This record gives sequence, structure tokens and C-alpha cells, in this order.
Amino acid sequence: MFQQTLALIVIVFFLARLFWQKQKKQIAIAEFIFWLFFWLISAGAIISLKWLDKIVASLGFTASGINILLYLSVAVLFYLIFRLRLKLSKIERDITKLVRHIALKK
Amino acid sequence: MKIICIIPAYNEAENIVAVINSVKSLVDEVVVIDDCSSDDTYFLAKQQKITALKHIINRGQGAALKTGTEYAIRENADIIVHFDADGQFLAIDIKTIIAPLINNQADIVFGSRFINKQDNIAMPVMKRRVLMPLARLVNKLFFNINLTDPQSGFRAMTKLAAKKIDWHQDRMAHCSEILYQVVKYNLKIKEVPIKIIYNNFGQRFSGGVRILIDLFLAKLIS
Repeated sequence: MFQQTLALIVIVFFLARLFWQKQKKQIAIAEFIFWLFFWLISAGAIISLKWLDKIVASLGFTASGINILLYLSVAVLFYLIFRLRLKLSKIERDITKLVRHIALKK
Repeated sequence: MKIICIIPAYNEAENIVAVINSVKSLVDEVVVIDDCSSDDTYFLAKQQKITALKHIINRGQGAALKTGTEYAIRENADIIVHFDADGQFLAIDIKTIIAPLINNQADIVFGSRFINKQDNIAMPVMKRRVLMPLARLVNKLFFNINLTDPQSGFRAMTKLAAKKIDWHQDRMAHCSEILYQVVKYNLKIKEVPIKIIYNNFGQRFSGGVRILIDLFLAKLIS
């Protein structure tokens, strides 16, 4: 129970930051919606951990619900890092274009 | 026939003057692209009364070559030669590499260190026996390219070929990307033997892995 409360406090903190960033217009609407859903789903999963345990067990997994959440979050993190790398590559290409434009202009 | 020689350079103050002077008489214009060197490469190149372009941020050899190639296309070059600034290539080989283009036998010509066995004798055994065969295998399997030298940086192409080849790899993977595009656009390829004076030995195994990662990411972006 204590761990669940702690996790919820952390999520509330991140949600508050998210709304603050939105208010300051530091975050795009698409990104805001993505993270809003991400944290709400996380909160929902933590609140209904016992129900999640049952579902996981009925699916034939030996791990508990919280473990499955951990595995899923690691997978999501890997995916996000991969997306970040792609985005970085695109930015690198754009920087090269700019540098080339400046070099050829002189 | 206008021949422009492109020399990308990064911290090559030690070699750049000698390299420029060695190629100057063999081509119509020499273009040095200084890739944001921290030494005097750019100023030394400029003093030689050639065209010197400068990248304000270091972008890698592939990017510098592309900048030079775009310049050469804009200046209406008929033949564009890619040459290294480290003094490892012999300027006299420019004659050999442009000959098939002048005679209309090819659209792009690659210098190869592997046509004549004595030309690669100074290469470390690991590179000659393991890395290069591995790179050849990757080229064969993934791009269906059959060239003796998979990572040759000494090449010459016609303006038409240069306009078609549009590489985006800024770092060392540009060699493979150029090869891939040459095959994709069905350009006429020729390999000619070149000699190398080895100062350092270029790519390591980790560099090869980096090239593969860069090519994989580029595939996903495009």
C-alpha cells in the first residue's frame, strides 16, 4: 500500500509538471496528450494492481502484475530511445544542410 | 574539359600545402573543404590561391565531400575527383582515375588498393585479411556490389553521375552509400589500381560497426 501511494505521488508530481509545461507553452499539444495518457494509464495500472495480478495470472504468466508493468516499461523505454536516435539523426542531417549552405554562400 | 579536385580536410595543417601543390597542376581547380579544423588548415589552403570552403561545425568527411561536390556541380565541372588531404594518395594517380571518364568508358571510377597485390602489402594483416573481406561480403550481400576495394575514398565521376548520387552519410559510411547509389542508378563503374602511402590505417573494427549502424539508421529515416 505504501509503495502504491509513493508511486501515485510521483505520478501526480509528473502530471503537475506536465500541466505546468503546457501552461508555459513549453510542450507541443501532441506530446502533452501522449504524456498525459502515459501517466494516467500508469496511475490506473498502479491503482488496480490486484486486478492486474489476476489478469496476468489468467494469461498464464508466472510473474506478478507489477513485474509485467516493469517489463513493459523497459520495452517502452527502449522504443523511446530508438525514436530519439532517429530524431537525432534527422536533426544532424538538417545541421549539415545548414553548414553546407553557409559554406557555399561565402 | 573542366576537372575539379575536391579535398576534404580536418586538422591537416601538416599535409595540406604539399597535397594541394601535388594535385594543382593535374586539374583545373582545387577545392579544399575545411571541416572546422582547430589548426591552420583553412588559412594554409587559402594561401595557396585555390578555392577554400569552410564548415563552421565539424560534420565529417562525407559531408565535406558533398559540399565540395555541390560546389563543383555549380561551377560546371565535367569531372569531379575526390582526394584525401592526409597525403596518402599519389597525385599522379589522378591521371589514371580520370582516363576512363575522358574515354567515356565509365560514369564513375574507383581507385582500388587491391587490384595490384603490391599496392596493399603495407596494410596491416588484420585489415587486409579480415576487415576488408568482411566489408566486401557486406557490400555483396546487402547491396550486390562487387568491387575489390569496398572503402576506397579515391574516386572520380562525371558531373552527370555526381548529380544522380545524393549521399546523406556525413561520416565514414558515405563510401558504402555512394557505392549503393552507383548500383541503384545503374552507373557504369570502373576500378583502377592506385598506390597508397600509409601514414595511419584508417578504419578499425569499431569504425566498421559504426558504418553499419549509420547505414541501418539512414534506411529507417528515408
